[in-house]
Amino acid sequence: MNLSPRMPRLPRGRPRLRPRNPLTLKLVALLAFLGPGIVAANAGNDAGGIATYASVGAKYGYDLLWMMVLITVSLIVVQEMAARMGAVTGKGLAELIREQYGPRWSLFSTFAVLFANLGICISEFVGIGAALSLAHVPVQISVPIAAAVVWLLVVRGSYKVAERIFVAMTIPFFAYPVAAILAHPHWGHVGSAIVAPRIHLNGTYVVLFIATVGTTITPFMQLYLQSAVVERGLGPEDIPAERAEVAGSSLFANLVAGFIIIATGATLFVHGHHTVHSAADAAKALAPFAGRYAEVLFAIGLLGASLLAAAILPVTAAYVIAETFGLEKGIARRPREAPVFVTTLTALVVIGAVVAMIPGVPVIKLLVLVQVVNGALLPVTLFFVWRLARSEELMGEHRNGRVFDVVAGLTVVATGALSLVLVGLTLAGKA
Amino acid sequence: MASAAPAVLHLSLVVGGELRDAAGERLGRVDDLIVRLGDEDYPPVMGAVASVAARQVFVAAEQIVELGPGQVTLEADRLDLQHFRRRPQEVLLKKDVLDRQLINVDGARLVRANEIELARLEGWYRVVGVDVSLRGLVRRVIPRALAARVEPGGFLDWASVEPFTGHVPTVRLRVPHPKLAKLHPAQLADLVEAASHSEGEEIMAAVAADPEREADVFEELEDSHQLEFVEDRGDDEIAELLGRMETDDAADLVLQLPEERREDVIALLSTVQARRLRTLLGYDPATAGGLMSPEFVCVYADATREEAIDRIERSRLPAEALSWIYGMNTHRRLRGGIALADLMRAPAGERLWNILRPAQTVRPDADLEEVARLMTDFDLTVVAVVDEEERILGIITVDDVLELVLPEGWRRRFGVLGGD
Repeated sequence: MNLSPRMPRLPRGRPRLRPRNPLTLKLVALLAFLGPGIVAANAGNDAGGIATYASVGAKYGYDLLWMMVLITVSLIVVQEMAARMGAVTGKGLAELIREQYGPRWSLFSTFAVLFANLGICISEFVGIGAALSLAHVPVQISVPIAAAVVWLLVVRGSYKVAERIFVAMTIPFFAYPVAAILAHPHWGHVGSAIVAPRIHLNGTYVVLFIATVGTTITPFMQLYLQSAVVERGLGPEDIPAERAEVAGSSLFANLVAGFIIIATGATLFVHGHHTVHSAADAAKALAPFAGRYAEVLFAIGLLGASLLAAAILPVTAAYVIAETFGLEKGIARRPREAPVFVTTLTALVVIGAVVAMIPGVPVIKLLVLVQVVNGALLPVTLFFVWRLARSEELMGEHRNGRVFDVVAGLTVVATGALSLVLVGLTLAGKA
Repeated sequence: MASAAPAVLHLSLVVGGELRDAAGERLGRVDDLIVRLGDEDYPPVMGAVASVAARQVFVAAEQIVELGPGQVTLEADRLDLQHFRRRPQEVLLKKDVLDRQLINVDGARLVRANEIELARLEGWYRVVGVDVSLRGLVRRVIPRALAARVEPGGFLDWASVEPFTGHVPTVRLRVPHPKLAKLHPAQLADLVEAASHSEGEEIMAAVAADPEREADVFEELEDSHQLEFVEDRGDDEIAELLGRMETDDAADLVLQLPEERREDVIALLSTVQARRLRTLLGYDPATAGGLMSPEFVCVYADATREEAIDRIERSRLPAEALSWIYGMNTHRRLRGGIALADLMRAPAGERLWNILRPAQTVRPDADLEEVARLMTDFDLTVVAVVDEEERILGIITVDDVLELVLPEGWRRRFGVLGGD
């Protein structure tokens, strides 16, 4: 019998009794610390996000770039609170909501997350299928394989391995800056668009603005981040490092989003191709203006983004369910150890993949519905994040600082209000 | 309502109900109930927190006549207004216990209190149990009128429940968690791993009163959790803990420490302990050298049965390290070993070299697979580790091997969390 495949990994080599060179240590620590923050932030740049950013660029060129600065600040503020709470309390957001606000709010957010994540999960598998069909791989092959890969990754293996792979899955995002450079934008115009906002007073501009906020700051990002910080076992002493990780990651994710806007703004917008229906659509439309490589890069970016999000969304839903009901949870738990956790994420992956393979599935209509649910959920989640993070009883000395708390409150109110406006516009059929 | 003698009251139906005076006049709303944890099996209700005319007031138990679904009735027709202040050992049932995690001591698992059950016992209202079922949760979400019709679900007697109280400001460190004494160190370790950090700390704090038991729990903890609970301790505290642990487990714990702290901690150990630890740490942890424990009994082969037994009696080693006794010649070369039971059965006065059997040995650089295979092939519980000159360096007991060859998912007892 060969034991090796099941053998646990043991550290190899003689143990160190003396510390390493401090510079090496710092570098290793920096890389090793990448994790929950970068995964959560980049999972937000998913198929739906790319489509939105591409639309923004195609419709208004660089005119909406300025808002990415504001959105980045907001995202950092919100994500920092969630990460800090995870480190201080050792509990996920859903668990804290249950403990502090009782079962009604808790069940509302749980089921809203479940529904919204299922919807987004479908769109991720559609994105995977679309990206690979640009390489002429039929959906019936690419989607089941992707679903199997995603499932194995989160149910087998270990948290550490899964997290490393999630982090590695953000590498395809580097395709977007390259694509943006290939699109030969006028960098002077880009710069001035960021510094000097050009505001158009019409409905489409406002809707796109709000939609971008909605796709960049989504409830699952806070929920995943906090649960992952807990599962990683970070404590109060890790807060400064985790804060840096979250801030850097949010910045990176939004730079990527900015490059998508620049790439489409420099090509589609300039050449009068103003409407983009999906991320794959954007990739295809890019080819005539920025070359075949730009299309390939966009497709690679889309594939990586969709795969990452297709793994993170089911995991987040499973975390939330397990935390709300106080059940066993965790990446790499076997079905027997955490039945509800594994069942939830399996159901999301399977339903997501199956629905995505149905030809002619009305993805757009589905996404509109998801947008409404997410839009209603976001103010609730953000409000709880803010209230909990400023609570002295819960957070003690790690509660929000006075100035930060004001900024956070404003961010939450503004983002929440925009989100509700989007829900209203969507329901009225305007978005 | 069921026919059982004391009618069971659901906390969620009492809280939020009306506060009435003796005449039935409505005075305000009941916000929470206060109970005292600790001395008694079923914690008595010490009072209520209520909102009266938009002010939060304390209603002492002496003023209360009856608790009922949807209302709390007072004895007098006027209310003695007092401000609510927490006293030691008192917790608010809704705020501090409901919806939070509790330890179910029978079965050693964490459960969530979906509902808290009260009943009139020995003349006064007390907490008698918690409902951990989904039904208990559903009942609280649906409207009150419907809720009364939903049958209660899984009921867990309070006698087998230990709440976490670390989040309650004044109770902290004053409730001793006596029920945890029923649990095995391995079960405690599982609970610590499943709970959040502060809840885990609460369990560890409850165990810390007995340093030997604390060391046992540490031996059972997963590596990352070991680190979690020693990180905040000073070097001397860690050294004290290491001193109580078995050397091989202690070596594993040292490896969890940040590199810059290892030497400082080892330096604080006794000379003997430090030497043993350093010896073990000199080996690759993935090999027999890293797995072995340097503590064993090896006597000269011409010793008698009685001399060997005397050595065993005087040793303070754990039982598993004594299941095999080794014999060596005057050059300290290993001549063989004998199972403890065989030694006991040998005739009185017998010399060991007559009864020693060839011992299965491995070199320090043998890997885990080789050790595991040798144990399986020869049905061994102990394997000796020897150097090139066949001098015994240490022994590997089956528990250390089993811990490592068990598939990762099996190591943790599942079902630590969740309802019954």
